[in-house]
Amino acid sequence: MTDTGLTAQPRMPSVARLLAAQVGYQARLLASGRAVTLGVIFPVILLIASHSRGTHITAADVAQYAVFGLSLTAWNTYGVRLVAAREAGVLKRWRATPLPRWCYFLGRVLATVVVATLAAAATVAVGVLLYHTHLSLDGALGALAVFVLGSFAWAATATAVTAAVPTVEAAAPTMMLIYFPVVIASGALGSISEPHWLSTLVSYLPAEPLVHAAGTALGYSAGHTWLPGRDVLVLAAWAIAGIAVSIVTFRWEPHRPTQRRSARSSRQVGSTSSRATGNASDAGAAPTTPPMQFESAIASDA
Amino acid sequence: MTAIAVEELTKRFGNFAAVDGVSFEIPQGQLVAVLGPNGAGKTTTLEMLEGFLAPTSGTARVLGVDPHRGDRRWRARIGLVLQSTSLDAEITVRDTLTMFAGLYPNPRAVPEVLELVDLSDDAETNVGALSGGQRRRVDVAIGIIGRPEVLFLDEPTTGLDPEARRRAWTAVENLTTTGTTVVLTTHYIDEAEHLANRLILLVGGKVTADTTPDRLRTQGGPATIRYHLPDGTPTGDLPANLAPHIDPVTRTLVVRADDLSGPLRDLLAWVDRHHLDLSRLEVGPPSLEDAYLAAIGDPLTLEGTRR
Repeated sequence: MTDTGLTAQPRMPSVARLLAAQVGYQARLLASGRAVTLGVIFPVILLIASHSRGTHITAADVAQYAVFGLSLTAWNTYGVRLVAAREAGVLKRWRATPLPRWCYFLGRVLATVVVATLAAAATVAVGVLLYHTHLSLDGALGALAVFVLGSFAWAATATAVTAAVPTVEAAAPTMMLIYFPVVIASGALGSISEPHWLSTLVSYLPAEPLVHAAGTALGYSAGHTWLPGRDVLVLAAWAIAGIAVSIVTFRWEPHRPTQRRSARSSRQVGSTSSRATGNASDAGAAPTTPPMQFESAIASDA
Repeated sequence: MTAIAVEELTKRFGNFAAVDGVSFEIPQGQLVAVLGPNGAGKTTTLEMLEGFLAPTSGTARVLGVDPHRGDRRWRARIGLVLQSTSLDAEITVRDTLTMFAGLYPNPRAVPEVLELVDLSDDAETNVGALSGGQRRRVDVAIGIIGRPEVLFLDEPTTGLDPEARRRAWTAVENLTTTGTTVVLTTHYIDEAEHLANRLILLVGGKVTADTTPDRLRTQGGPATIRYHLPDGTPTGDLPANLAPHIDPVTRTLVVRADDLSGPLRDLLAWVDRHHLDLSRLEVGPPSLEDAYLAAIGDPLTLEGTRR
């Protein structure tokens, strides 16, 4: 990096501090929106509406509702908000600051992990308190780990998908269109009969392994499996793949309609008759910027 | 000390040269307005200086650094107020500024910045509840909160009402007293005239003039008399050298001549005969708007112009 002669300047804030502040800020934003209604209250209402008071609900049942709330938050709420922020120019505003770009991006994802995990935990708490779902400390810790990994996988995948969503109007339908088939086929909203090939396919998507791993962890007792390795691997693969695709495709700027412009003529005459030199932005000359280069951003920010 | 140095900067999108061989230097502390019609290349030039776009050819240095390779230490010395950005709506103005202040090594105190942009009374209001003008001032506040050495303002007052524009101007003027170099793009001639001590005109991606407002004005043609006639004034006995210069719609007399002494003497005598109010009489060089339109319509090679 070029020497900018800043030896006497105050130190830059540490990246760890910036990331922590960003996670707190984004979590606060997320919690102040409808995420709480959708991801926390909705699954709890469904749980209570589907079971009469005092009945016993198994860990596997509670896991389904918890994963429903978690994935609604980490997929739909996160994805739609990300597109809305990009199209409104919020991402561009942050990109214009000294905050490392990966720090902003990771802050948003980790904030979503926190809120989605809390949403799942709230549903589990209702199961334990109202429906006598048995939960050991080991089981709670295992479920926590699964919720964190699962919400990271969903949010990372949603990040990758949002690059292909051009407008805010298209965001919710696109996210839902992908979400519901995956979640319904996973059995998170109740078991369904499905052909073998579909069961196999679903076992590689992030919903079914998450439901299974969460149910296994929540119902853990000595001598049984704590965290099913295959499910954890599938979720980790989605998390890594989501991040990898996002690094290539993530965009900070709103999509702009494609413009075709002829080569510049040798003389261009402005046409104005008011005290303004024009009325519209000349930003149309610049196309959307290329995808974020995470590697160079990380290298230069380190 | 040079804050910004640009040499033969060019940006092409396919066959289209949005910026075409632009060169200029801006010393520290100068407030420069970049003017030009739509598509002139103003925003593209700024985006290259801000590090968001890589030039096709040529070089740019901002505070001695290639903007496209600037790290976060460099970016902490730059303030940006961009077009078409926005802020998270569900957070108060104070919390927003506190969050952004935390990104810089030596930020201004939040109350100081609120005062600078005249938003102290709205500090506890959510950003989403602010008017367009107030939000733009929050943008300006974020642009200056890190004590930038160079501040880029891309059309900071577009869409603001006259009062909001004046307030934004005051905020920018307050900055120049601290030695900040400011580069401003604007559609508004009066804004450039009010704020800038240097104008760079871009037309067709090229610099067609690099001058001061006063110098540009002198290039706009001969000196001018403007007089808005009071309502109901009969014009039948206007002297022959004035009568053809009345605009019947606006009832404004506009006379342009190298030597205005004759027309001015005749006008004053006529005004005196009719006991008219002189408060709407202007005599002076052509307006900056006239000079600007002349410059972009028929690009001039003005003093100090680089091509």
